[in-house]
Amino acid sequence: MWLAVAAVLCTLLGFLIASLALDQGKSPADFLLHSCFILCLGVGGFSVLFLIARVFNLPHLFKADLLAITLLGAIRLLARCPRKPSNRGLHEKLTFPAGIHRLLTVSFVFSASVAGYSAVTGAIVHPHGDGWDAFAIWNLHARFLFLGGARWRDGYSTLIPWSHPDYPPLVPAAVAHFWSYLGNDSPAIPAVLGFVFALSTVVLLCSALTRMRGGDAAMLGGLTLVSTPFFVSQAAAQYADIPLSFFFLSTLVLLYEYSTSGSKRTLALAGLCAGFAAWTKNEGLLFLFSAVIGQILPMLLGKRPVGTRKRREVFAFLIGAAPLLALDLWFKHFIAPPGDLFTTPASMISKAMTPLRYLVILKWFGKQFLRFGDWWLIPVTLVLVALYFLSSRNEKLREDAALHASLWTLVLTLVGYFAIYVITPNELYWHLRFSLNRLLLQVWPSGLFLFFCSVSLRRGPEVSK
Amino acid sequence: MNRLPADKLPAKLKVAMIILVCSCLFSTARIIRYAPKPWNLAPDNIAQRSDQRFAAVKQALPSRGVIGYVGETGESALPDYYLTQYALAPLVVDRSVNHDLVLENFTGKQIPGSLAGLQEIQEFGKGIILLRNEDAR
Repeated sequence: MWLAVAAVLCTLLGFLIASLALDQGKSPADFLLHSCFILCLGVGGFSVLFLIARVFNLPHLFKADLLAITLLGAIRLLARCPRKPSNRGLHEKLTFPAGIHRLLTVSFVFSASVAGYSAVTGAIVHPHGDGWDAFAIWNLHARFLFLGGARWRDGYSTLIPWSHPDYPPLVPAAVAHFWSYLGNDSPAIPAVLGFVFALSTVVLLCSALTRMRGGDAAMLGGLTLVSTPFFVSQAAAQYADIPLSFFFLSTLVLLYEYSTSGSKRTLALAGLCAGFAAWTKNEGLLFLFSAVIGQILPMLLGKRPVGTRKRREVFAFLIGAAPLLALDLWFKHFIAPPGDLFTTPASMISKAMTPLRYLVILKWFGKQFLRFGDWWLIPVTLVLVALYFLSSRNEKLREDAALHASLWTLVLTLVGYFAIYVITPNELYWHLRFSLNRLLLQVWPSGLFLFFCSVSLRRGPEVSK
Repeated sequence: MNRLPADKLPAKLKVAMIILVCSCLFSTARIIRYAPKPWNLAPDNIAQRSDQRFAAVKQALPSRGVIGYVGETGESALPDYYLTQYALAPLVVDRSVNHDLVLENFTGKQIPGSLAGLQEIQEFGKGIILLRNEDAR
């Protein structure tokens, strides 16, 4: 009973946050896109509310939730409805001949069913998560938050540095919030939340691509994602990489939405999603800064001045990101002990001056580019590269600000990952071996979105519809 | 929806598309191969090695605070230590004997050595002993 109440409150919270910026729309793709945002923003909001309740030692979580929802509801009532999106005409619809369309449809339905089966049975066989990080980091933090009461901060003790107490608490706090309603620490909750994020990532990718480029592009993008074995295994792992990949993707999707709606609220919601990324994992903080720089960099590189309009856009993005960025910085300053990646400047400079480290990391990036998905026989990334070089160019995309900003965001994030490996105090091979595939998985749905948004498969010069 | 006529899609792109779909299907085959089989959906042993294993000793421990831990040595013993912490949270389990209460946890891979200065309070079976350290700092 109380679990159902928690689910309703979480959904309502997500709905109120999403509806501040997104128009409801009428098509099934619009409905699915909004549903993903509602579910995952609700989970993110739930984590924030739980931490606030813990910090202020609020005894009645239900009342705190109701208060937050009432406040958001009031803001929603006072705010004007978001603008309806309009077609911007940069992207042609991607359609395939009937034969390929049928092959694609059957393959997508089959692969999605297999992925769903594998994720669900994986969660049944590994109820506490698949891998050390589930019980040594994420679910452990959730237990401290839920069972710790007034001493919840013990979970961030320096006596257990291996549990990475510096990791932000979106997933653990959301899990603890649901546990509080349930009254026990059932392993089903993190499993279900993991499944919700994985499913939302797939649905968000497909629905966003449907809106941008039509159903065939959506099925192709969706097929590529659901047939990535590593993505499917991580769906049941109860790690935070899939939730992070959702917030990466949602940020980029909203940057695209902004270019159709022109509403600054969409940009603010993109900022909020980037903020939730920072609230999910430390990599999200890097992504947030990359997203800010990525919006300005194309102009700076083109030696064009950053005009008032662009400044306002960046400001709107930062306004959205600000609450969670502030919360994350507060958490890092007052709750979490320092992370293990940054050591003394001398040590970091010494590592940065060692050329061999760059070569090793470059080699691993190259190797993992072909392997991280755990594909069988043919690396899908290789096929996508081939497809890109065989496809024709849409000249109009050169002016696509959302594409440029999104591409730069991902590139800068990857450069940041590279830099962290350069200065890591951990044994380099060990660190690369146990993390690089997950880092690449985090950007994989976003990479697929950008790829299928921009690839053109027509013969001859491009015609935009 | 108006579909693209087959001749509008260049042959090389048609081949690339089919290769992409086939490579996705190959990987789907891998997902099927490694997915748990419907006739064998028994849960793994994490609960046995954590919550169930430490259920008895948890009753004898304070619900919050810090206790020490001693167990098998080496990297292979790390999961046992992590699972102990997972089971006993929100109690912090420090891998050190410098605490009033120390939990000895040996799963049978190594034989426990003598621990000078530690006195047994209670044995819980399965290699779990609760100890007191009189010299704890």
